[in-house]
Amino acid sequence: MTLTTPTRRQLLAMIGQVAGAAAMYQAMTSMGFAAESGYAGAPELQGPRQGRRVLILGAGIAGMAAAYEMRRAGYAVKILEYQDRTGGRCLTLRGGDRYTEMGGHEIACDFQGDGYLNAGPWRLPVHHRAVFDYCRRLGVAMHPFIIKNNRAFLHSASAFDGQPQRIGDVEKDMRGHVSELLAKALNQGGLDDAVTPEDREKLLEGLKDWGVLDRNYTYRASDDLGGVRGWDIPPGGGLMPEKKPSQPNDLSRLLHSGLWDQVFNFNSYSFEPPMFEPAGGMDAITDAFAREVEDVIQLNARVTRIAQHDDGVTVTYEDGGRGGTVREQTADWCICTIPLSVLAQIQVDCSDAMRKAIAAVPYASAFKVGLEFRRRFWEEEDGILGGVSYTDLPLVQIAYPNYGFLSAGPAVLQAAYDTATGGRNFTYSWSSMTPQERIDAALAFGRQIHPQYDAEFLSGTSWVWHRVDWSLGCYGQWTQELRDEHYKTLCEIDNRLVLAGEHCSHIPAWLEGSLLSALDAIKRLDQRENA
Amino acid sequence: MTPNPLYLFAALTVLATGALAQQTSTPPPPAQDIDTLLSRFSDDPDHFTQTDGADLYRATCQACHMEDGRGAMGAGAHPPLAGNPKMRSKHFLAGVILTGYHAMPRFGHMMSDDQVAAVTNYVRSHFGNDFPDVITAAEVADLRPPEDE
Repeated sequence: MTLTTPTRRQLLAMIGQVAGAAAMYQAMTSMGFAAESGYAGAPELQGPRQGRRVLILGAGIAGMAAAYEMRRAGYAVKILEYQDRTGGRCLTLRGGDRYTEMGGHEIACDFQGDGYLNAGPWRLPVHHRAVFDYCRRLGVAMHPFIIKNNRAFLHSASAFDGQPQRIGDVEKDMRGHVSELLAKALNQGGLDDAVTPEDREKLLEGLKDWGVLDRNYTYRASDDLGGVRGWDIPPGGGLMPEKKPSQPNDLSRLLHSGLWDQVFNFNSYSFEPPMFEPAGGMDAITDAFAREVEDVIQLNARVTRIAQHDDGVTVTYEDGGRGGTVREQTADWCICTIPLSVLAQIQVDCSDAMRKAIAAVPYASAFKVGLEFRRRFWEEEDGILGGVSYTDLPLVQIAYPNYGFLSAGPAVLQAAYDTATGGRNFTYSWSSMTPQERIDAALAFGRQIHPQYDAEFLSGTSWVWHRVDWSLGCYGQWTQELRDEHYKTLCEIDNRLVLAGEHCSHIPAWLEGSLLSALDAIKRLDQRENA
Repeated sequence: MTPNPLYLFAALTVLATGALAQQTSTPPPPAQDIDTLLSRFSDDPDHFTQTDGADLYRATCQACHMEDGRGAMGAGAHPPLAGNPKMRSKHFLAGVILTGYHAMPRFGHMMSDDQVAAVTNYVRSHFGNDFPDVITAAEVADLRPPEDE
């Protein structure tokens, strides 16, 4: 028996030889390997039997991906979109853009250079495999997104006299101090119950290198540490001054500064380097989908009613937006990607449980401010090329452009950004400000980190997701209790209707969640069609 | 040591360029205005530190319900608090602030009973609303879901 049972690796190799890489990948996925994002390649749909016509509501990434794949499988698709643009929350602001937010204020973007502000998604982890696969298939050019730049800043208004500290310095100091403490405990026999004598020796040896400790297991300035942490006087050429290693920060001061906590911003698997972004703005991804399906998209269509009957759906919409000509569109199936915040205000024929689910999910607060400056002073004077700085000021983070390095002329900082997921209350207050007030506040806080702000400022723009009438918030703010009660119902096919979008995923707010939700919805719809 | 005249010249040029840039950039708003503006943020990221109903409204509710309490409408709508019959019940409004309602997030974990009472009473006595009955912090405490306590 053992002779005839192949190992998993042998089995996979056999499948690969016989059926090709795609089949091997499918097999790997079903066996639990390589299944990081739940993405198993482009969906293999059987195609329509009776119900050929599919009406999709919303031309964001979920709606357009659903249209793209269902049409490939032979369905007749149509998309109704409320806005006069495609892309949904995948949105990039550039110079010349104008937008009227809820409350009537105009968002103006007057950037002079080629800088931009991604109002929604702005960086992609490589394990979001569906996004990367579609970018590959649709020809979206990517460049690296520097998520962690050791030279970017950590800042607290109440620590280090308000002087920003380098991320790398804080991280290495904490590593050094913790290594020293652990070595001390090991040497004093404090951990003899936990480690064998052999392990203790290995640990001590490793801690010395890892934390850059001296022969007495002390973390202190040395040429060795200079080679790891950097220099007060860096090694130079010719007759330049003798090098001098940098001085570590005191442990207690670091612990009370809050800066160690800020390093944890980089710990998330979602922000694991390397990350990527499409060249020229995140909307390159949805633009690529729009190119594939633009002939089936009807813009300026505001859905007011989703009616279901035995053999199909009838969607009523206002052609031209609120108050426009009322029209109806019938179809065999409906895929609705309208955010739940808006959908809850639309009359939908569905089960009571689904209606409750639609109305149950709060939509998260999130905002951004983008500021354009005359020149890249953060590169020229602070040596920060790309990456993100964090602060305990209400602006929370400053992200530097990861394109156009060293170029002359204007450049754009993502100068303030937070979401409700961070747990801080600042985002609500930013959202309650006028566009001008947001810019003023971002400048007032930002100059505490970059004093060059005042001299170099050109113009600013902002985005507040709670003031966007087609999303009424940024993303579905699920809790475990809400998921237990409503998630499955929300995602199930209700007669002829299925919902999709980031709100129908376990990766809220991310493009990957929207894509996986759409792919899963159309797979189940296709199965239902062919059942 | 005498400074090298070339270096001095370079430094002056940089200063002059900086001054020029300063002149052509938009002047920052007056300090008083900025302080007032920045005071609209809580001093604590976890809990609102404002205590006055108007200040709390401006830091939270105003994002959606707007300066005039009339909400806003487009594809979807943020409901008005002005002339809204649901405002008749102080318990309803305080409960919504505590636990959220439909797409509206909850604020109970970021506001004390006193703060929820203050903003509830503010909304019910402004924007054309004129309900005489006020809610007390003790009444808010009774409405608070157990997990908030």
